[in-house]
Amino acid sequence: MKRVVLAVLAGLVVLRPAAASEEMIVPRFSDETQASGINSVYAGEWQYMVGGGAAVFDCNADGFPDVLLAGGEKPANFYVNTARQGGPLTFARQPSGLEFDAVTGAYPLDIDSDGIMDVVVLRVGENIIMKGEGNCRFSRSNEAWGFDGGDGWSTAFAAIWEKDAAWPTLAIGNYIDRTQELEPWGSCTPNWLHRPAPGAKGFAPPLPLTPSYCPLSMLFTDWSNSGTADLRVSNDREYYEGGQEQMWRMTPGKPPQLYSKAEGWRYLRIWGMGIAGYDLDADGYQEYALTSMADNKLQTLAKPPQQGTRPEPSYKDVAWAKGATAHRPFMGDDLRPSTGWHTEFQDVNNDGRADLFIAKGNVSEMPDFAMKDPNNLLVQGVDGKFIEMAGVAGVASLAQARGGAVTDFNLDGLVDLLVVNRNSTAEIWRNTTPGAGNWIAVQLKQPAPNTGGVGAMVEVRTAEGVQRREITVGGGHASGQAGWIHFGIGDAVHADLRVRWPGEDWGEPITVPVNGFAIVDKIGPAAHAWRPAR
Amino acid sequence: MKLTRRRALQFGAAMALIGYHGGRAQARDAGDGLRRWYHLVLRLVRHTPTYSPPVASRAFAYLGVAAYQAVASGSASLISLEGQLNGLTALPRRTPGESYSDAVIQHSVMATAVRAFFGNTGPTGQRVMTATEKKLRTDAQAGVAEDVIARSIAYGDALTAAIIAWSETDGGAVIANMGFPLDYKLTAGKARWVPTSAIRQQQFPLLPDWGRNRTFAMPDGATCPLPPPPDYSEDPDSDFYREAREVYDTTRSLTVDQEAIARFWSDDPMLSPTPPGHWIQIALERLAAESASLDRTAEVLMVLGIAMADAFIGCWNAKYQYDLLRPVTYIRRVIDPAWEPLLITPPFPEYPSGHSTQSGAAAAVLTKLLGARVSFTDTTHVRDGLEPRHFASFEAAAQEAGISRLYGGIHFRAAIERGLDQGRCIGQHALALRTRSST
Repeated sequence: MKRVVLAVLAGLVVLRPAAASEEMIVPRFSDETQASGINSVYAGEWQYMVGGGAAVFDCNADGFPDVLLAGGEKPANFYVNTARQGGPLTFARQPSGLEFDAVTGAYPLDIDSDGIMDVVVLRVGENIIMKGEGNCRFSRSNEAWGFDGGDGWSTAFAAIWEKDAAWPTLAIGNYIDRTQELEPWGSCTPNWLHRPAPGAKGFAPPLPLTPSYCPLSMLFTDWSNSGTADLRVSNDREYYEGGQEQMWRMTPGKPPQLYSKAEGWRYLRIWGMGIAGYDLDADGYQEYALTSMADNKLQTLAKPPQQGTRPEPSYKDVAWAKGATAHRPFMGDDLRPSTGWHTEFQDVNNDGRADLFIAKGNVSEMPDFAMKDPNNLLVQGVDGKFIEMAGVAGVASLAQARGGAVTDFNLDGLVDLLVVNRNSTAEIWRNTTPGAGNWIAVQLKQPAPNTGGVGAMVEVRTAEGVQRREITVGGGHASGQAGWIHFGIGDAVHADLRVRWPGEDWGEPITVPVNGFAIVDKIGPAAHAWRPAR
Repeated sequence: MKLTRRRALQFGAAMALIGYHGGRAQARDAGDGLRRWYHLVLRLVRHTPTYSPPVASRAFAYLGVAAYQAVASGSASLISLEGQLNGLTALPRRTPGESYSDAVIQHSVMATAVRAFFGNTGPTGQRVMTATEKKLRTDAQAGVAEDVIARSIAYGDALTAAIIAWSETDGGAVIANMGFPLDYKLTAGKARWVPTSAIRQQQFPLLPDWGRNRTFAMPDGATCPLPPPPDYSEDPDSDFYREAREVYDTTRSLTVDQEAIARFWSDDPMLSPTPPGHWIQIALERLAAESASLDRTAEVLMVLGIAMADAFIGCWNAKYQYDLLRPVTYIRRVIDPAWEPLLITPPFPEYPSGHSTQSGAAAAVLTKLLGARVSFTDTTHVRDGLEPRHFASFEAAAQEAGISRLYGGIHFRAAIERGLDQGRCIGQHALALRTRSST
């Protein structure tokens, strides 16, 4: 594999001395926005200062991820992916039934477990569940599935199948009471938890998740590596009074309960805007990136538990120690503090280490914060520290970024980048990293319910180490994905994979093809390779 | 002038509108419009990221001067601050013989000044400012003749422009990077301040030059000096060690009430109206309770704002003179490496305590202007879920604000006690302003 010695890029990349001698694969991206066919703007006044998400998922069974982009006041835009494997990123706008106005974000999820992705559309106004009908057509299902879409300002979403449940549990985060013109602060509206209706398909009436503190991101995640996901909520301190970051303990059949100070939950108050989780040190416990303004967090357990004991839900911030603060622009002449939104861990150079993308953009002409606020691409080195490479990689856009997705749009084994911007068109970059490492990409499949294995943990073991990642629906900023699960594996030429299916113990390892795609079927004896048809 | 005042009184007596917070109908007094502007300002202080406590105190001072001059410019009893405040030589005057509306001038001044001082707030703050301005304008202009409205607005605009121009030369007008320098050389030595948080932005201390700003009523930032803190020592028999040990021992055995006190006075920036805003809230509650007139409301808020702004300048002057380390640094170094204070340690030097200095100044002002034995209930943080606290006097509240910093683990006793003393001294300079012809 061709390596690029980072030290020679000292003039291009902001380096920390400790990392200057490391060999790192420098990611490269090509801006293909203009030729991509995507022309979608997230716009609108006050009620669209947050949100601006993307749903990325395959809805025509060709394996290529298709895209729904929130439009704010204007209708959302749906694009079918027309790229060929390894080719330019191309899309075609296509009627889908998803083209609602007032959309802030969207998350794909096979709610009825029919093997076809449905979409939860978050809006200023009524939220809508759209059932996938196949071939990228969708139909409203609120009434058929007993889903109360409310009339709020929805800004966050997460989903999980609770133990033995036939239908998922949906968490929806709601923001300010938009009718409060004189007193918007302190007017956070209740978040809702939509649990399955007992004994029938669809959902029971929503359960208020109070106190609610204006979340901009939610994530069901198995933080304790116990096999059960709890609900993390990242809240915007701009609007709550008496609030803080939250985590709800989810016990099937019981009301959710907030983790308390007595249990170890630490008081943290930030402008919470996005959540991403990844087990960066492969110790079985995930780290969490939280985006904010001028102060992004990278959390790790404060006290790693002793063997066989359950950890305390107590996190410390290691963002500075790991080089992941991204607190102000790393380039240009605008050094005012940054505003972070969508965040996501993905391995952009396939070196076997997860990297961190953060979308950046001013809320709305806030002069105390950078107006020219480049996105961050923090590439992880062998020492576990991150180095900013958005500039050299070519993704340091100065647009007002919001949501996004880091995923492989042209199925070449390199994750590409899509970013939704406020007041300017969404941007898309093709990953063209020279000398990138090897990779694997898998999709989980199991019989209904929960066909995609949401909540599963996937472990990849190669000669270069062990990686684990959780299959989640939620997090980021108003943006969700479903589809291929990507791992870079560096120089490894053999990879074994095992899955901890939801509610079960770890399965047996199976070999998966390197530099290829595979379907991992729970009831199948082995992974079977998959190849795109074009 | 009589016409103007009568109109204002008629307006105040006649209006029975929905209260600004909540739904209770209540009669409005003439000072109500100004107090409602201040309620908005308290919200904006909390929700504008540059508004650390020193910056907030500065805004309260200038807004107080603007509000006061709006009234004093047409008053037979209030004395103009021209020539009394540093750098404030002359202000626009009303045209003799012409009619003006105090309420319209007051509204015009506040609408323009608030937008000037909080122009950097976010989109929600901008939206609320617009909505509030519209609502209060309707109230202020009700029943006032068109020509009087126009004349009053023009005068208010001229007055505000002059005060804003004056404010721009004090050294505190531009706040970059939320007040944290992009470069700063820390002082070497074990006694000196070092960063206490893992937040990258806070590796340099907040507003290191604030102590050199132009003061309002006292000559300069060094006007009320205080003795140096105890000499740094790690000897268990030293005063310094004893003070640190007191913080350590106290915080490890906090009573429920002590923890409540620490949290009540924590007044964190961006999560509260900040310490000076806390005292403004106290004053607003007392002024509302007595249905204070417009001139009294403006007078109290002006003197209080100036006292607290000067207190922060004086305090910051001393902080960077002594550049003392925080308890968390010393205690982890000398006593217990695992110790955690209850409150988040502020990102600047320890001595003296800012909350103590400005509380000492605020209490001195309110004691003089509102009374030495005024008991009151402080509801500042009710909306944040903190129980109201009752105080027998403003001085008692200041004492509690000071000691709260020890309970919170962020200050030594000397910084608190001497900070309160420094504040009392600074408060006297504000109180020496001549505001009424009878005084």
